[in-house]
Amino acid sequence: MNLMILELAVVVLGLGILLGDLWTAAHQKHLLGYAAAALLGVILLASFFGLEQVGSGPAYAFNNMLVLDGLAVFFKRFFLIAAILVLLMSVEFSNRIQSGISEFYCLILFALTGMMFAASANDFIMVFVALELISVTFYVLNSFQRNRLASLEAGIKYLILSALSAAFLVFGIALVFGTTTFTNFADIQRALVANPALAGNGLFLLGVLMIIVGLGFKIAAFPFQIWAPDVYQGSPTPSTAFLAVGSKAAGIVLLLRVLFVAVPAVTQHWSKLLIIISAITILYGNLCAIPQRNLKRLLGYSSISNAGYLLLGFAALSQAGKAAILYYLAGYLFTVVAAFTVICLVTRDRDSDDITVLAGLHRRSPLLAMALTMAMVSLAGIPPLAGFFGKFLLLKAVVEQGATNSAYYWLVGITVFGVVISLYYYFGVIRAIYWSKDVTDFSPITVSWPAKLSLVVCMAAILYLGLLPGKPLKLSEDSALALTTPVSGSKQLFH
Amino acid sequence: MDSQLTQYIPILILLLVAIGAAAGMLIASVALGRWANRGRLQNRAKNQNINTPYECGMIAVGEGNTRLSVKFYLVAMLFILFDIEVVFMYPWAVVYRDMLKTNGPVILGSMVSFLGILFIGYIYALKKKAFDWKS
Repeated sequence: MNLMILELAVVVLGLGILLGDLWTAAHQKHLLGYAAAALLGVILLASFFGLEQVGSGPAYAFNNMLVLDGLAVFFKRFFLIAAILVLLMSVEFSNRIQSGISEFYCLILFALTGMMFAASANDFIMVFVALELISVTFYVLNSFQRNRLASLEAGIKYLILSALSAAFLVFGIALVFGTTTFTNFADIQRALVANPALAGNGLFLLGVLMIIVGLGFKIAAFPFQIWAPDVYQGSPTPSTAFLAVGSKAAGIVLLLRVLFVAVPAVTQHWSKLLIIISAITILYGNLCAIPQRNLKRLLGYSSISNAGYLLLGFAALSQAGKAAILYYLAGYLFTVVAAFTVICLVTRDRDSDDITVLAGLHRRSPLLAMALTMAMVSLAGIPPLAGFFGKFLLLKAVVEQGATNSAYYWLVGITVFGVVISLYYYFGVIRAIYWSKDVTDFSPITVSWPAKLSLVVCMAAILYLGLLPGKPLKLSEDSALALTTPVSGSKQLFH
Repeated sequence: MDSQLTQYIPILILLLVAIGAAAGMLIASVALGRWANRGRLQNRAKNQNINTPYECGMIAVGEGNTRLSVKFYLVAMLFILFDIEVVFMYPWAVVYRDMLKTNGPVILGSMVSFLGILFIGYIYALKKKAFDWKS
């Protein structure tokens, strides 16, 4: 039970906000958002004191359905930080939501619960339940601006494609269960060791492939990326940010567990598949982003290319690759949240997300201009920011594998090519801020202090991850250790 | 054939019977209609009423499906929610006595928390005037 104490706390907080909404006057509802963010901060702090047992190895609960190890704790804290920053962003967004802003906060908290369960999932049933909890809340979050057609369109598109991918996932789980008679990751791993012929069984491989399809949809990897730009563009900005960070990271942690804990014997043979998916995703995301004029759509394509960069770490099949994924995700979290917070604030009084709204931003609000510039530079992978070091680690992991298969060198080449393309469109955003012609609007943008705080935190984290990589790199390496040790007997805490 | 797959043969037969029955009804109704009207078909242009539901009597007016107030859907959704709640309580009640010996606090706690969440939802629906039919 104490393995899911954090999740329980988040659920109780969500229900509390839901009830608190009933007795709160309309003009005070934004306080609920701040309260939720503050209490999540308390939960985050508590996670540093309450989870001491992690040091003594992984702990299991509910017939090994849940696991609490370094990786789970890393991602739980990751999701908590993301949710706090997104909640602060949604308070700034509240004037654009006609009714039910408290429900918006609640849904973010419930989606967070699903993500935290995903971080601990050690069983395919748990994977499915956690992913559905995330998906169903995002159907609502994406279509929350009921009076905006684009938002409804985003919600419907996400609903249909997400349901389709869930069908693939469930079919895959059924096939894996049918061929191994297990749904637990550790049991499947043991079955693969005991019966090596299973790794050549067509039905089993089809099942694993379908599971990868289901998870590939979540992280928007090619060829399951088609929904991302439309949904990113149409959804309310805080939902987009949470989709880009939280939902993608949930897909990544599940993919890590499935590929490296449940079916490592299969993954060993599928490095080519991962290389191809990674390369095409990087190329697709970066090439399609070039002509975009809509900021959120641009970041949608950028999110696809980032999924490609993250897949580099999977393709490397090495411990360094897994640690690099975690490091890159940490940098990606702060970068993307900073970018979306700025977009949310700049477009507050305007109806468009076009890149021209940024014109003259450095005079309207130097802080916002600086935050967005830093986010773009970090996404482009320029030293000394977080994005550079993350990409460096990922590429290093891939190059180290080059001796085994020359395809890895091609992958590095394609990645570098993608990064060079991305410089063009990321710097297009920076140019729009500082060097726009015919700027007429120099009215200063007022930024509330919680939003300022979240931007400053993001900028500090981007700098920290880029300049002082020692400690966080050690942390991600330690967290990735959970994916190496062969699963031994279970330490049952709770039956 | 794989022995696993052979056990699905009855389902395949059922599927074929279902498709056959549906297609048979459609084809039979068309064929029978033509056969019964064989003498009158030449006059179809004159006699439009042959294809109306009631050949004699009132002419049908308006759509077959009427629009319902959105409140019905709200109540229907809430009904399903609390219906499921009760459905979950049956298996729980069946195993309650056995589980009480080994995992007492767990079996009580899980159901109480489940009911608690739905109760909060009920309060929410009540306060949001989901059951208020006046407005």
